[in-house]
Amino acid sequence: MSQARDAVTAPSPLKQWWLKWRFHLNILLLLIPLGFMPKYFADAKMFRGESGLGANPIENIAVGPWSISLSELLAEAPRQDGPAGYFKAFNASLCSSCGSEVKAAYLRIGKPRSLRAAGTIFFGNPHRMSTSLPVPARTRADAELWITLEGWDGSLHQASVPLAKASPATLAWLNKQGGKP
Amino acid sequence: MAQQSKKSKSRLWFLVHSWLALPIWFFVLIVCVTGTLAVVSQEIVWLANPDVRASKPNDDAERLSFQQVLDALKQAEPDMAVRYISQPDGSHFALNAAVTFPDGTAPILYVNPYTGAIQGKSPDFNFEGFTRALHGWWLVPFTNGYSWGWYLVSLLGLPMLASLVTGLVVYKRFWKGFFKPTLRFNHGARIFWGDFHRLSGIWSIWFIAVISITGTWFLIQALLADNHITLSTEPITPVIAREDVPLSDSKAPVPRIDLDEATRIATTQVPGLDVTFAQLPSNAYGHIYLGGRGWYPLMFQTASVNPYTRKVDASFLVGDRSALEFVTESMRPLHTGDFGGLAIKLIWAFFGLLLSMMVLSGLLIWTKRTAQATAAALKRADRTPRATKVTGEAATEMQP
Repeated sequence: MSQARDAVTAPSPLKQWWLKWRFHLNILLLLIPLGFMPKYFADAKMFRGESGLGANPIENIAVGPWSISLSELLAEAPRQDGPAGYFKAFNASLCSSCGSEVKAAYLRIGKPRSLRAAGTIFFGNPHRMSTSLPVPARTRADAELWITLEGWDGSLHQASVPLAKASPATLAWLNKQGGKP
Repeated sequence: MAQQSKKSKSRLWFLVHSWLALPIWFFVLIVCVTGTLAVVSQEIVWLANPDVRASKPNDDAERLSFQQVLDALKQAEPDMAVRYISQPDGSHFALNAAVTFPDGTAPILYVNPYTGAIQGKSPDFNFEGFTRALHGWWLVPFTNGYSWGWYLVSLLGLPMLASLVTGLVVYKRFWKGFFKPTLRFNHGARIFWGDFHRLSGIWSIWFIAVISITGTWFLIQALLADNHITLSTEPITPVIAREDVPLSDSKAPVPRIDLDEATRIATTQVPGLDVTFAQLPSNAYGHIYLGGRGWYPLMFQTASVNPYTRKVDASFLVGDRSALEFVTESMRPLHTGDFGGLAIKLIWAFFGLLLSMMVLSGLLIWTKRTAQATAAALKRADRTPRATKVTGEAATEMQP
Protein backbone atom coordinates (compact mmCIF):
# COMPACT_ATOMS: atom_id res chain seq x y z
CA MET A 1 0.00 0.00 0.00
CA SER A 2 2.78 2.31 0.82
CA GLN A 3 4.14 1.57 -2.62
CA ALA A 4 0.90 2.84 -4.08
CA ARG A 5 1.63 6.20 -2.57
CA ASP A 6 5.23 6.02 -3.60
CA ALA A 7 4.13 5.46 -7.15
CA VAL A 8 2.53 8.87 -7.28
CA THR A 9 5.01 10.74 -5.13
CA ALA A 10 8.66 10.40 -6.05
CA PRO A 11 10.19 7.62 -3.88
CA SER A 12 13.03 8.79 -1.71
CA PRO A 13 16.40 7.03 -2.09
CA LEU A 14 15.90 5.55 1.38
CA LYS A 15 12.55 4.06 0.35
CA GLN A 16 14.05 2.67 -2.82
CA TRP A 17 16.85 1.14 -0.83
CA TRP A 18 14.32 -0.42 1.57
CA LEU A 19 12.20 -1.83 -1.24
CA LYS A 20 15.24 -3.35 -2.86
CA TRP A 21 16.86 -4.82 0.24
CA ARG A 22 14.01 -5.58 2.67
CA PHE A 23 14.06 -9.34 2.10
CA HIS A 24 17.74 -9.43 2.93
CA LEU A 25 16.62 -8.76 6.51
CA ASN A 26 16.12 -12.53 6.69
CA ILE A 27 19.79 -13.11 6.05
CA LEU A 28 20.81 -10.48 8.60
CA LEU A 29 18.50 -12.07 11.18
CA LEU A 30 20.00 -15.51 10.50
CA LEU A 31 23.51 -14.17 10.93
CA ILE A 32 22.67 -13.23 14.53
CA PRO A 33 22.50 -16.78 15.99
CA LEU A 34 25.38 -17.89 13.79
CA GLY A 35 27.51 -15.08 15.15
CA PHE A 36 26.58 -15.80 18.75
CA MET A 37 27.02 -19.57 18.48
CA PRO A 38 30.69 -19.67 19.62
CA LYS A 39 29.80 -17.48 22.60
CA TYR A 40 26.81 -19.73 23.39
CA PHE A 41 28.94 -22.87 23.45
CA ALA A 42 31.71 -21.17 25.43
CA ASP A 43 29.15 -20.06 28.02
CA ALA A 44 27.57 -23.54 28.14
CA LYS A 45 31.03 -25.00 28.77
CA MET A 46 31.68 -22.46 31.50
CA PHE A 47 28.42 -23.27 33.28
CA ARG A 48 29.28 -26.98 33.14
CA GLY A 49 32.44 -26.01 35.03
CA GLU A 50 34.72 -27.20 32.25
CA SER A 51 36.54 -23.91 31.80
CA GLY A 52 37.96 -23.92 35.32
CA LEU A 53 36.78 -21.93 38.30
CA GLY A 54 36.53 -18.64 36.43
CA ALA A 55 38.71 -15.73 35.36
CA ASN A 56 41.85 -14.52 37.17
CA PRO A 57 41.91 -17.38 39.69
CA ILE A 58 43.93 -17.00 42.87
CA GLU A 59 44.81 -20.54 43.91
CA ASN A 60 45.08 -21.90 47.43
CA ILE A 61 44.72 -18.81 49.58
CA ALA A 62 45.62 -19.96 53.10
CA VAL A 63 42.80 -19.24 55.56
CA GLY A 64 43.84 -20.58 58.97
CA PRO A 65 44.18 -24.35 58.72
CA TRP A 66 42.28 -24.39 55.45
CA SER A 67 42.77 -23.01 51.98
CA ILE A 68 40.46 -21.71 49.29
CA SER A 69 40.74 -20.81 45.61
CA LEU A 70 38.94 -17.67 44.48
CA SER A 71 38.05 -16.53 41.01
CA GLU A 72 35.76 -14.01 39.38
CA LEU A 73 33.05 -15.61 37.25
CA LEU A 74 33.71 -13.27 34.31
CA ALA A 75 36.59 -10.91 33.63
CA GLU A 76 34.35 -7.89 33.54
CA ALA A 77 33.14 -4.92 35.56
CA PRO A 78 30.39 -5.31 38.17
CA ARG A 79 26.87 -5.45 36.76
CA GLN A 80 24.04 -3.27 37.94
CA ASP A 81 21.02 -5.05 39.36
CA GLY A 82 18.52 -2.23 39.22
CA PRO A 83 18.17 -0.12 42.35
CA ALA A 84 20.05 -2.74 44.39
CA GLY A 85 23.35 -1.46 43.01
CA TYR A 86 26.38 -3.11 41.44
CA PHE A 87 27.30 -6.76 41.95
CA LYS A 88 30.25 -8.92 41.03
CA ALA A 89 30.00 -12.72 40.87
CA PHE A 90 32.85 -14.73 42.42
CA ASN A 91 33.45 -18.47 42.48
CA ALA A 92 35.43 -20.42 45.05
CA SER A 93 36.50 -23.95 45.83
CA LEU A 94 37.76 -25.34 49.12
CA CYS A 95 40.78 -27.59 49.54
CA SER A 96 39.83 -31.23 49.10
CA SER A 97 40.43 -32.20 52.72
CA CYS A 98 38.76 -29.18 54.33
CA GLY A 99 35.40 -29.37 52.59
CA SER A 100 33.78 -31.31 55.42
CA GLU A 101 35.12 -29.04 58.17
CA VAL A 102 34.09 -25.69 56.74
CA LYS A 103 30.54 -24.74 57.58
CA ALA A 104 30.33 -21.57 55.52
CA ALA A 105 32.44 -19.15 53.50
CA TYR A 106 31.88 -15.41 53.20
CA LEU A 107 33.26 -12.63 51.04
CA ARG A 108 33.38 -8.92 51.79
CA ILE A 109 35.14 -5.77 50.63
CA GLY A 110 37.06 -4.50 53.68
CA LYS A 111 37.75 -6.30 56.93
CA PRO A 112 34.60 -7.56 58.67
CA ARG A 113 34.19 -6.42 62.26
CA SER A 114 32.36 -9.60 63.28
CA LEU A 115 30.96 -12.83 61.90
CA ARG A 116 27.59 -11.14 61.58
CA ALA A 117 29.13 -8.70 59.12
CA ALA A 118 31.27 -11.29 57.34
CA GLY A 119 29.74 -10.34 53.99
CA THR A 120 27.90 -12.37 51.39
CA ILE A 121 27.68 -16.11 51.97
CA PHE A 122 28.81 -18.57 49.30
CA PHE A 123 26.23 -20.96 47.86
CA GLY A 124 27.07 -24.32 46.37
CA ASN A 125 29.33 -27.11 47.51
CA PRO A 126 33.01 -27.29 48.49
CA HIS A 127 34.04 -28.11 44.91
CA ARG A 128 32.41 -25.08 43.42
CA MET A 129 30.50 -22.35 45.16
CA SER A 130 29.57 -18.86 44.20
CA THR A 131 28.44 -15.57 45.61
CA SER A 132 27.33 -12.20 44.35
CA LEU A 133 29.37 -9.48 46.01
CA PRO A 134 27.95 -5.95 46.23
CA VAL A 135 30.55 -3.47 44.98
CA PRO A 136 29.75 0.14 45.90
CA ALA A 137 30.88 2.57 43.21
CA ARG A 138 32.87 4.50 45.84
CA THR A 139 35.05 1.51 46.76
CA ARG A 140 38.74 2.47 47.04
CA ALA A 141 41.03 1.13 44.35
CA ASP A 142 43.34 -0.40 46.99
CA ALA A 143 40.50 -2.22 48.76
CA GLU A 144 41.01 -5.76 50.01
CA LEU A 145 38.67 -8.70 49.53
CA TRP A 146 38.22 -10.47 52.85
CA ILE A 147 37.42 -14.17 52.97
CA THR A 148 35.94 -15.52 56.21
CA LEU A 149 35.68 -19.27 56.77
CA GLU A 150 33.50 -20.57 59.59
CA GLY A 151 34.10 -24.08 60.93
CA TRP A 152 31.39 -26.45 62.13
CA ASP A 153 33.02 -26.21 65.57
CA GLY A 154 32.51 -22.44 65.60
CA SER A 155 36.10 -21.52 64.74
CA LEU A 156 36.67 -18.51 62.46
CA HIS A 157 39.55 -17.81 60.12
CA GLN A 158 40.16 -14.92 57.78
CA ALA A 159 42.42 -13.96 54.91
CA SER A 160 42.46 -11.19 52.35
CA VAL A 161 43.52 -10.63 48.76
CA PRO A 162 43.73 -7.30 46.90
CA LEU A 163 40.55 -6.61 44.95
CA ALA A 164 42.76 -5.36 42.11
CA LYS A 165 44.31 -8.82 41.84
CA ALA A 166 41.05 -10.76 42.11
CA SER A 167 39.33 -8.61 39.51
CA PRO A 168 41.39 -6.18 37.41
CA ALA A 169 38.23 -5.30 35.46
CA THR A 170 36.56 -4.14 38.67
CA LEU A 171 39.58 -1.99 39.46
CA ALA A 172 39.41 -0.41 36.00
CA TRP A 173 35.70 0.19 36.52
CA LEU A 174 36.29 1.76 39.95
CA ASN A 175 38.91 4.08 38.49
CA LYS A 176 36.37 5.19 35.90
CA GLN A 177 33.81 5.89 38.65
CA GLY A 178 36.32 8.30 40.16
CA GLY A 179 36.37 6.07 43.25
CA LYS A 180 37.17 8.23 46.24
CA PRO A 181 36.47 7.22 49.83
CA MET B 1 -20.40 3.96 -1.59
CA ALA B 2 -20.70 1.95 1.61
CA GLN B 3 -20.29 -1.18 -0.45
CA GLN B 4 -17.19 0.29 -2.03
CA SER B 5 -15.59 1.19 1.29
CA LYS B 6 -16.39 -2.24 2.74
CA LYS B 7 -14.74 -3.83 -0.23
CA SER B 8 -11.64 -1.67 -0.04
CA LYS B 9 -11.42 -2.27 3.68
CA SER B 10 -11.54 -5.97 3.14
CA ARG B 11 -8.84 -5.62 0.50
CA LEU B 12 -6.81 -3.62 2.97
CA TRP B 13 -7.14 -6.34 5.60
CA PHE B 14 -6.11 -8.83 2.99
CA LEU B 15 -2.98 -6.85 2.15
CA VAL B 16 -2.16 -6.39 5.83
CA HIS B 17 -2.51 -10.14 6.32
CA SER B 18 -0.37 -10.82 3.28
CA TRP B 19 2.44 -8.56 4.39
CA LEU B 20 2.51 -9.36 8.11
CA ALA B 21 5.19 -12.02 8.22
CA LEU B 22 7.16 -10.37 5.48
CA PRO B 23 9.89 -9.47 4.95
CA ILE B 24 11.10 -11.58 7.86
CA TRP B 25 9.37 -14.81 6.84
CA PHE B 26 12.46 -16.96 7.12
CA PHE B 27 13.15 -15.77 10.66
CA VAL B 28 9.51 -16.51 11.59
CA LEU B 29 9.78 -19.95 9.99
CA ILE B 30 12.95 -20.86 11.90
CA VAL B 31 11.42 -19.65 15.17
CA CYS B 32 8.37 -21.89 14.52
CA VAL B 33 10.50 -24.90 13.56
CA THR B 34 12.86 -24.58 16.54
CA GLY B 35 9.85 -24.08 18.82
CA THR B 36 8.33 -27.30 17.50
CA LEU B 37 11.61 -29.13 18.08
CA ALA B 38 11.94 -27.65 21.56
CA VAL B 39 8.52 -29.03 22.57
CA VAL B 40 9.64 -32.60 21.91
CA SER B 41 13.39 -32.10 22.51
CA GLN B 42 13.29 -34.22 25.66
CA GLU B 43 11.62 -37.06 23.74
CA ILE B 44 14.11 -36.76 20.88
CA VAL B 45 16.95 -37.13 23.37
CA TRP B 46 15.12 -40.10 24.92
CA LEU B 47 15.03 -41.79 21.51
CA ALA B 48 18.64 -40.97 20.70
CA ASN B 49 20.34 -41.61 24.03
CA PRO B 50 19.63 -44.84 26.00
CA ASP B 51 21.24 -43.26 29.09
CA VAL B 52 18.18 -41.10 29.74
CA ARG B 53 15.74 -44.04 29.74
CA ALA B 54 14.43 -45.57 32.96
CA SER B 55 14.89 -49.22 32.09
CA LYS B 56 13.45 -51.67 34.61
CA PRO B 57 15.92 -54.38 35.63
CA ASN B 58 13.02 -56.83 36.16
CA ASP B 59 9.25 -56.74 36.23
CA ASP B 60 8.78 -56.36 39.95
CA ALA B 61 11.53 -53.82 40.49
CA GLU B 62 10.46 -50.88 42.66
CA ARG B 63 11.50 -47.28 42.39
CA LEU B 64 14.05 -46.13 44.95
CA SER B 65 13.40 -43.19 47.23
CA PHE B 66 15.46 -40.03 46.75
CA GLN B 67 17.60 -40.83 49.78
CA GLN B 68 18.26 -44.35 48.48
CA VAL B 69 19.33 -42.82 45.18
CA LEU B 70 21.53 -40.33 47.00
CA ASP B 71 23.14 -43.17 48.99
CA ALA B 72 23.78 -45.11 45.78
CA LEU B 73 25.39 -42.04 44.20
CA LYS B 74 27.58 -41.45 47.27
CA GLN B 75 28.70 -45.04 47.16
CA ALA B 76 29.56 -44.88 43.46
CA GLU B 77 31.32 -41.50 43.67
CA PRO B 78 32.22 -40.68 47.29
CA ASP B 79 33.88 -37.33 46.46
CA MET B 80 31.08 -36.04 44.33
CA ALA B 81 28.64 -33.41 45.65
CA VAL B 82 24.96 -33.72 44.69
CA ARG B 83 23.02 -30.49 44.13
CA TYR B 84 19.58 -31.86 43.32
CA ILE B 85 17.74 -34.97 42.14
CA SER B 86 14.66 -34.70 39.97
CA GLN B 87 12.27 -36.96 38.13
CA PRO B 88 11.44 -35.58 34.67
CA ASP B 89 7.75 -35.63 33.75
CA GLY B 90 7.15 -39.25 32.69
CA SER B 91 8.28 -42.44 34.40
CA HIS B 92 10.09 -43.57 31.23
CA PHE B 93 12.77 -40.97 31.93
CA ALA B 94 15.77 -41.67 34.13
CA LEU B 95 16.32 -39.48 37.18
CA ASN B 96 18.41 -36.36 36.69
CA ALA B 97 21.04 -35.75 39.35
CA ALA B 98 22.90 -32.46 39.18
CA VAL B 99 26.34 -33.04 40.66
CA THR B 100 29.71 -31.36 41.08
CA PHE B 101 32.95 -33.33 40.87
CA PRO B 102 36.09 -32.38 42.81
CA ASP B 103 37.58 -30.88 39.61
CA GLY B 104 34.67 -28.41 39.52
CA THR B 105 32.86 -29.90 36.54
CA ALA B 106 29.11 -29.87 37.10
CA PRO B 107 27.20 -32.19 34.75
CA ILE B 108 23.76 -33.79 35.07
CA LEU B 109 23.96 -37.54 35.72
CA TYR B 110 21.27 -39.87 34.39
CA VAL B 111 20.42 -42.27 37.20
CA ASN B 112 18.34 -45.43 37.00
CA PRO B 113 15.34 -44.91 39.32
CA TYR B 114 15.17 -48.65 40.16
CA THR B 115 18.83 -49.44 40.82
CA GLY B 116 20.44 -46.07 41.50
CA ALA B 117 23.08 -46.89 38.89
CA ILE B 118 24.68 -43.96 37.05
CA GLN B 119 23.77 -44.63 33.41
CA GLY B 120 25.61 -41.71 31.91
CA LYS B 121 26.21 -37.99 32.10
CA SER B 122 24.88 -35.08 30.09
CA PRO B 123 26.77 -34.77 26.80
CA ASP B 124 28.73 -31.64 25.89
CA PHE B 125 26.07 -30.69 23.38
CA ASN B 126 22.80 -30.15 25.21
CA PHE B 127 20.16 -30.58 22.50
CA GLU B 128 17.27 -29.47 24.71
CA GLY B 129 19.13 -26.40 25.90
CA PHE B 130 20.28 -25.49 22.41
CA THR B 131 16.87 -25.69 20.72
CA ARG B 132 15.31 -23.71 23.57
CA ALA B 133 18.02 -21.05 23.44
CA LEU B 134 17.74 -20.75 19.67
CA HIS B 135 13.95 -20.56 19.81
CA GLY B 136 13.72 -18.42 22.92
CA TRP B 137 16.43 -15.80 22.49
CA TRP B 138 18.09 -16.47 19.17
CA LEU B 139 21.29 -17.36 21.10
CA VAL B 140 21.86 -13.71 22.02
CA PRO B 141 23.53 -13.84 25.47
CA PHE B 142 21.92 -12.37 28.58
CA THR B 143 24.35 -9.75 29.79
CA ASN B 144 22.25 -7.11 31.49
CA GLY B 145 18.67 -8.20 32.13
CA TYR B 146 16.88 -9.91 29.26
CA SER B 147 18.80 -10.54 26.06
CA TRP B 148 17.76 -8.44 23.07
CA GLY B 149 17.29 -11.72 21.21
CA TRP B 150 14.48 -12.51 23.66
CA TYR B 151 12.79 -9.24 22.70
CA LEU B 152 13.34 -9.98 19.01
CA VAL B 153 11.61 -13.37 19.22
CA SER B 154 8.85 -12.43 21.66
CA LEU B 155 7.92 -9.39 19.55
CA LEU B 156 6.76 -11.88 16.90
CA GLY B 157 3.76 -12.64 19.12
CA LEU B 158 2.16 -9.38 17.98
CA PRO B 159 2.29 -9.90 14.18
CA MET B 160 1.24 -13.50 14.78
CA LEU B 161 -1.84 -12.38 16.68
CA ALA B 162 -2.53 -9.82 13.96
CA SER B 163 -2.16 -12.56 11.33
CA LEU B 164 -4.76 -14.63 13.12
CA VAL B 165 -7.23 -11.75 13.40
CA THR B 166 -6.79 -10.42 9.86
CA GLY B 167 -6.80 -13.99 8.52
CA LEU B 168 -10.21 -14.61 10.08
CA VAL B 169 -11.49 -11.25 8.86
CA VAL B 170 -10.57 -11.87 5.24
CA TYR B 171 -11.65 -15.52 5.25
CA LYS B 172 -15.38 -15.01 4.71
CA ARG B 173 -17.52 -17.38 6.80
CA PHE B 174 -14.48 -19.35 7.84
CA TRP B 175 -16.57 -21.58 10.13
CA LYS B 176 -18.01 -23.21 7.03
CA GLY B 177 -14.53 -24.64 6.45
CA PHE B 178 -14.99 -26.88 9.48
CA PHE B 179 -17.96 -28.63 7.88
CA LYS B 180 -16.72 -28.60 4.31
CA PRO B 181 -12.97 -29.14 4.47
CA THR B 182 -11.41 -28.33 1.13
CA LEU B 183 -7.97 -29.48 0.06
CA ARG B 184 -7.67 -29.65 -3.71
CA PHE B 185 -4.67 -31.62 -4.89
CA ASN B 186 -5.09 -31.52 -8.63
CA HIS B 187 -5.60 -27.84 -9.35
CA GLY B 188 -1.99 -26.78 -9.24
CA ALA B 189 0.33 -25.71 -6.44
CA ARG B 190 -1.21 -22.27 -5.87
CA ILE B 191 -4.70 -23.72 -5.20
CA PHE B 192 -3.31 -26.52 -3.04
CA TRP B 193 -1.28 -24.20 -0.83
CA GLY B 194 -4.19 -21.77 -0.58
CA ASP B 195 -6.51 -24.56 0.58
CA PHE B 196 -3.86 -25.89 2.92
CA HIS B 197 -3.26 -22.45 4.43
CA ARG B 198 -6.96 -21.89 5.07
CA LEU B 199 -7.72 -25.40 6.31
CA SER B 200 -4.80 -25.62 8.72
CA GLY B 201 -5.52 -22.02 9.70
CA ILE B 202 -9.04 -22.65 10.95
CA TRP B 203 -8.07 -25.82 12.79
CA SER B 204 -5.17 -23.96 14.38
CA ILE B 205 -7.16 -20.93 15.58
CA TRP B 206 -6.89 -22.01 19.22
CA PHE B 207 -3.21 -22.91 18.90
CA ILE B 208 -2.17 -19.71 17.13
CA ALA B 209 -4.10 -17.74 19.75
CA VAL B 210 -2.37 -19.62 22.59
CA ILE B 211 1.10 -19.29 21.09
CA SER B 212 0.80 -15.64 20.10
CA ILE B 213 -0.77 -14.55 23.40
CA THR B 214 1.75 -16.47 25.50
CA GLY B 215 4.52 -15.27 23.19
CA THR B 216 3.42 -11.69 23.80
CA TRP B 217 3.42 -12.45 27.51
CA PHE B 218 7.15 -13.29 27.22
CA LEU B 219 7.62 -9.79 25.84
CA ILE B 220 5.69 -8.28 28.75
CA GLN B 221 7.58 -10.48 31.20
CA ALA B 222 10.91 -9.17 29.90
CA LEU B 223 9.68 -5.58 30.00
CA LEU B 224 8.51 -6.02 33.61
CA ALA B 225 11.74 -7.71 34.71
CA ASP B 226 13.97 -5.17 33.00
CA ASN B 227 12.06 -2.42 34.75
CA HIS B 228 12.36 -4.27 38.08
CA ILE B 229 8.64 -4.83 38.48
CA THR B 230 7.62 -8.14 40.03
CA LEU B 231 4.17 -9.70 40.18
CA SER B 232 5.33 -12.64 42.31
CA THR B 233 3.78 -13.30 45.68
CA GLU B 234 6.20 -16.13 46.41
CA PRO B 235 7.80 -15.47 49.78
CA ILE B 236 11.56 -15.11 49.81
CA THR B 237 12.73 -17.74 52.28
CA PRO B 238 15.46 -16.24 54.44
CA VAL B 239 18.49 -18.39 55.23
CA ILE B 240 18.26 -20.34 58.49
CA ALA B 241 19.10 -18.17 61.47
CA ARG B 242 22.56 -18.66 62.92
CA GLU B 243 21.15 -19.69 66.31
CA ASP B 244 19.06 -22.45 64.69
CA VAL B 245 22.17 -24.23 63.45
CA PRO B 246 23.74 -26.10 66.36
CA LEU B 247 27.49 -25.98 66.96
CA SER B 248 29.40 -29.17 66.44
CA ASP B 249 31.44 -30.71 69.24
CA SER B 250 34.01 -31.78 66.71
CA LYS B 251 35.18 -30.49 63.35
CA ALA B 252 32.60 -32.66 61.61
CA PRO B 253 29.30 -31.25 60.36
CA VAL B 254 26.20 -31.32 62.56
CA PRO B 255 23.91 -34.12 61.35
CA ARG B 256 20.96 -33.03 59.23
CA ILE B 257 17.80 -34.96 58.39
CA ASP B 258 17.94 -36.96 55.17
CA LEU B 259 15.87 -36.45 52.02
CA ASP B 260 13.32 -39.13 52.85
CA GLU B 261 12.69 -37.69 56.30
CA ALA B 262 12.36 -34.22 54.78
CA THR B 263 9.91 -35.58 52.19
CA ARG B 264 7.91 -37.31 54.91
CA ILE B 265 7.72 -34.12 56.99
CA ALA B 266 6.80 -31.96 53.99
CA THR B 267 4.12 -34.28 52.61
CA THR B 268 2.51 -34.73 56.06
CA GLN B 269 2.50 -31.03 56.88
CA VAL B 270 1.68 -29.71 53.43
CA PRO B 271 -1.42 -31.53 52.15
CA GLY B 272 -1.36 -32.25 48.44
CA LEU B 273 2.38 -31.76 48.02
CA ASP B 274 3.83 -34.14 45.46
CA VAL B 275 7.61 -34.45 45.55
CA THR B 276 9.31 -35.01 42.19
CA PHE B 277 12.46 -33.05 42.89
CA ALA B 278 14.65 -32.54 45.93
CA GLN B 279 17.31 -29.89 46.16
CA LEU B 280 19.95 -30.32 48.84
CA PRO B 281 20.85 -27.38 51.09
CA SER B 282 23.11 -25.01 49.18
CA ASN B 283 25.12 -24.29 52.32
CA ALA B 284 24.99 -24.89 56.09
CA TYR B 285 22.23 -22.29 56.44
CA GLY B 286 20.11 -23.61 53.58
CA HIS B 287 16.88 -25.58 53.46
CA ILE B 288 16.00 -28.84 51.77
CA TYR B 289 13.81 -27.61 48.95
CA LEU B 290 11.20 -30.07 47.71
CA GLY B 291 8.42 -29.87 45.21
CA GLY B 292 6.41 -31.12 42.29
CA ARG B 293 3.36 -30.41 40.20
CA GLY B 294 0.20 -29.36 41.99
CA TRP B 295 -3.39 -30.37 41.33
CA TYR B 296 -3.37 -27.64 38.72
CA PRO B 297 -0.74 -29.19 36.49
CA LEU B 298 0.56 -25.90 35.11
CA MET B 299 2.05 -24.94 38.45
CA PHE B 300 4.60 -26.37 40.82
CA GLN B 301 4.20 -26.51 44.59
CA THR B 302 7.23 -26.33 46.82
CA ALA B 303 8.25 -26.56 50.46
CA SER B 304 11.44 -25.60 52.29
CA VAL B 305 12.27 -27.95 55.15
CA ASN B 306 14.68 -26.86 57.84
CA PRO B 307 17.14 -29.79 58.12
CA TYR B 308 17.94 -29.00 61.80
CA THR B 309 14.57 -28.06 63.35
CA ARG B 310 12.50 -30.33 60.99
CA LYS B 311 10.07 -27.49 60.46
CA VAL B 312 8.56 -26.54 57.12
CA ASP B 313 9.83 -22.94 57.08
CA ALA B 314 8.10 -21.97 53.86
CA SER B 315 5.79 -23.39 51.24
CA PHE B 316 4.27 -22.09 48.05
CA LEU B 317 1.15 -23.86 46.85
CA VAL B 318 -1.28 -23.44 43.98
CA GLY B 319 -3.73 -21.77 46.39
CA ASP B 320 -1.11 -19.24 47.46
CA ARG B 321 -0.99 -17.65 44.04
CA SER B 322 -2.80 -14.39 43.41
CA ALA B 323 -5.44 -14.29 40.66
CA LEU B 324 -3.01 -12.41 38.44
CA GLU B 325 -0.28 -15.00 39.03
CA PHE B 326 -2.70 -17.73 38.04
CA VAL B 327 -2.83 -16.14 34.62
CA THR B 328 0.79 -15.12 34.27
CA GLU B 329 2.25 -18.35 35.64
CA SER B 330 0.10 -20.39 33.26
CA MET B 331 1.60 -18.62 30.27
CA ARG B 332 4.89 -20.49 30.02
CA PRO B 333 3.51 -24.06 30.27
CA LEU B 334 0.75 -23.12 27.81
CA HIS B 335 3.44 -22.00 25.39
CA THR B 336 5.71 -25.02 25.81
CA GLY B 337 3.00 -27.69 26.25
CA ASP B 338 4.91 -29.45 29.03
CA PHE B 339 2.10 -29.81 31.53
CA GLY B 340 0.34 -33.04 30.66
CA GLY B 341 2.88 -35.62 29.66
CA LEU B 342 3.59 -36.96 26.21
CA ALA B 343 0.07 -36.59 24.76
CA ILE B 344 -0.05 -32.80 25.18
CA LYS B 345 3.51 -32.45 23.89
CA LEU B 346 2.63 -34.39 20.74
CA ILE B 347 -0.43 -32.20 20.16
CA TRP B 348 1.72 -29.09 20.59
CA ALA B 349 4.39 -30.47 18.27
CA PHE B 350 1.81 -31.37 15.62
CA PHE B 351 0.27 -27.92 15.62
CA GLY B 352 3.73 -26.38 15.81
CA LEU B 353 4.60 -28.22 12.63
CA LEU B 354 1.32 -27.09 11.09
CA LEU B 355 2.11 -23.49 12.06
CA SER B 356 5.55 -23.78 10.46
CA MET B 357 3.86 -25.10 7.33
CA MET B 358 1.47 -22.16 7.42
CA VAL B 359 4.39 -19.74 7.35
CA LEU B 360 5.80 -21.65 4.42
CA SER B 361 2.48 -21.97 2.56
CA GLY B 362 1.76 -18.31 3.25
CA LEU B 363 5.05 -17.44 1.62
CA LEU B 364 4.34 -19.67 -1.37
CA ILE B 365 0.95 -18.04 -1.87
CA TRP B 366 2.53 -14.65 -1.45
CA THR B 367 5.18 -15.25 -4.10
CA LYS B 368 2.55 -16.60 -6.48
CA ARG B 369 -0.17 -14.06 -5.87
CA THR B 370 0.47 -11.11 -3.62
CA ALA B 371 3.54 -10.01 -5.50
CA GLN B 372 1.50 -9.90 -8.71
CA ALA B 373 -1.49 -8.35 -6.97
CA THR B 374 0.65 -5.60 -5.50
CA ALA B 375 2.30 -4.96 -8.83
CA ALA B 376 -1.16 -4.76 -10.42
CA ALA B 377 -2.37 -2.39 -7.70
CA LEU B 378 0.64 -0.21 -8.38
CA LYS B 379 -0.17 -0.08 -12.06
CA ARG B 380 -3.80 0.80 -11.34
CA ALA B 381 -2.73 3.48 -8.94
CA ASP B 382 -0.61 4.96 -11.66
CA ARG B 383 -3.52 5.09 -14.07
CA THR B 384 -6.55 6.15 -12.00
CA PRO B 385 -6.05 8.88 -9.42
CA ARG B 386 -9.31 7.91 -7.62
CA ALA B 387 -8.08 4.44 -6.80
CA THR B 388 -4.92 5.98 -5.50
CA LYS B 389 -6.97 8.12 -3.18
CA VAL B 390 -8.84 5.14 -1.75
CA THR B 391 -5.67 3.16 -1.18
CA GLY B 392 -3.97 6.24 0.15
CA GLU B 393 -6.71 6.82 2.71
CA ALA B 394 -6.73 3.19 3.67
CA ALA B 395 -3.00 3.25 4.14
CA THR B 396 -3.24 6.17 6.53
CA GLU B 397 -6.08 4.46 8.33
CA MET B 398 -4.08 1.40 9.15
CA GLN B 399 -1.26 3.37 10.66
CA PRO B 400 -1.70 3.49 14.40
